[in-house]
Amino acid sequence: MTAVYYAMELRRTGRDVVNLFFTAVLPAFLYVIFGASQDYSTDMLPTGRGNVAMYIMVSMAAYGAVTATTGIGGMAAVERMQGWGRQLGLTPMRDSRYVLVKAQLGLTIALIPVALIYVIGFATGAAGELRAWLLSGVLVLAGAALFSLYGLVFGLAFRTEGAVSAASGSLVILAFLGNLFFPLSGTMLTIAKLTPLYGIVALAREPLTEGWLLATDGAAPVHDPLWVPVANVAVWLTILTVLAVLLVRRGRARQ
Amino acid sequence: MTTTTEPAIDLVGVTKTFTPVGRPPVEAVRGIDLRVGRGEIVAFLGPNGAGKTTTLDMVLGLTQPTAGRVAVHGRPARTAVLEGRVSAVLQSGGLLHDLTVRETVQVIASAYRQPRDVDEVLERTGLTALARRRVSKCSGGEQQRLRFALALLPDPDLLVLDEPTAGMDVGARHEFWATMRAEVEGGRTVVFATHYLEEADAFAQRIVMVARGRVVADGSTAEIRARATGRTVSATLPAATAQQAVATLRRRPDVVAADLAGDRVTVRTGDADAVALALLTDLGGSGLEITTGSLDDAFLALTADDLVGADR
Repeated sequence: MTAVYYAMELRRTGRDVVNLFFTAVLPAFLYVIFGASQDYSTDMLPTGRGNVAMYIMVSMAAYGAVTATTGIGGMAAVERMQGWGRQLGLTPMRDSRYVLVKAQLGLTIALIPVALIYVIGFATGAAGELRAWLLSGVLVLAGAALFSLYGLVFGLAFRTEGAVSAASGSLVILAFLGNLFFPLSGTMLTIAKLTPLYGIVALAREPLTEGWLLATDGAAPVHDPLWVPVANVAVWLTILTVLAVLLVRRGRARQ
Repeated sequence: MTTTTEPAIDLVGVTKTFTPVGRPPVEAVRGIDLRVGRGEIVAFLGPNGAGKTTTLDMVLGLTQPTAGRVAVHGRPARTAVLEGRVSAVLQSGGLLHDLTVRETVQVIASAYRQPRDVDEVLERTGLTALARRRVSKCSGGEQQRLRFALALLPDPDLLVLDEPTAGMDVGARHEFWATMRAEVEGGRTVVFATHYLEEADAFAQRIVMVARGRVVADGSTAEIRARATGRTVSATLPAATAQQAVATLRRRPDVVAADLAGDRVTVRTGDADAVALALLTDLGGSGLEITTGSLDDAFLALTADDLVGADR
């Protein structure tokens, strides 16, 4: 069951060329523009564990990966509520199987931008310790997996494909606010620490930065203790989980 | 197929009340007792909102009853689904628009342990030529045939169809029932919901009429047809004998109901000619009128009877 279903999901995703563009090609393009082609890209980070190009590479890979999982989480909610859930409810397939297939799919699709951007990064001057390459990649995927809940909540709340596109689109704003595209400072940085993408990206960059934040204005680098991104992820994970559970219950009551 | 003797469907005192957040509760099903034997072909006939879909959802294990017992082949509904004994054609939705017809059948087939052959099912439902078409490009009737194909995959003993021909034109509807007829020859039990009396009449052996969450009539198609398409005969009776005449009318087997308003009696009957004759001769009536009630009238009338019955 799982293999056939998973293969079908992969074919479906492959057909959705527009989505794949936003998931994989756009973040890779952003990396090339803001990372590889800039003079500062070869500067080493304060920790000496990698260079700026690699820092931007990890950021853009995280952006692509959360775009992928947000879309998959959201569409899963929408398609279930549009009647596919009832159709599956008529078969012996269990809900846990469905969740498993979607989780595997999310990881696979999130792997596309990560692999693409890491390969481009490797070829265009991103440099760092092997441990940082591997660990950052794993952390990007783990963070993206958590973010599938963000898409799920949008899908459950608004029940339309348009709402899921809106959720994916909103990631651009969250990425700016979350210190992902551009290093923030001052008040904006304080606000950033409260937004949902901040923790995931900060943790993915942790093997490179060890918590040292980049500054663009030449000021002395600021250190962000590890508990800040960890708390950010924990709080947002709780908020999104509670919302998802409440929305699933609302959906049941309406049937 | 099994050799045990439990009925295909056994509903005992089943109710379902929905309690939407911030709104008053809705009693969708208010106490249904129903037994469907193996191999029966039963139509669930009723207007929109009668509780047909909710009842069938409980038979399919998609919804749990608020009270009462649901057994399918002597088992809980969900167990019967897991065993592949029951399957259904759902009213709407239920398909992924970006899949092809064949992919949809393959994916659902993969959910069963021993599904029927995908190509054979496509062939039987007339979908072979459309196998590579996207679901989004199929017409409503073609999508409905696809849902039917999905329902046939587990080779079920009991097939539940919720308004299977809704949205089909006459030709597609005819074709659908022709396919259906071929599929039930193997002794399958079929329960289908519809609001077309003609469809129930043509295909079912038994009609269960549902209105406002209750069974208001249950019988052979011939019996129900008489009630549902019965006529209304009205006449003015002599004031002195009016009460007695109404009592006489009510005793007649062909009379469904007789009501007196002033000196005018209104009789619903399956045999308008006989009642008219009696009214004009023995009962001394005058000013006779005969009207044919619509199906909606029949539903309304049957529901009204039911409410009166509950008040007594």
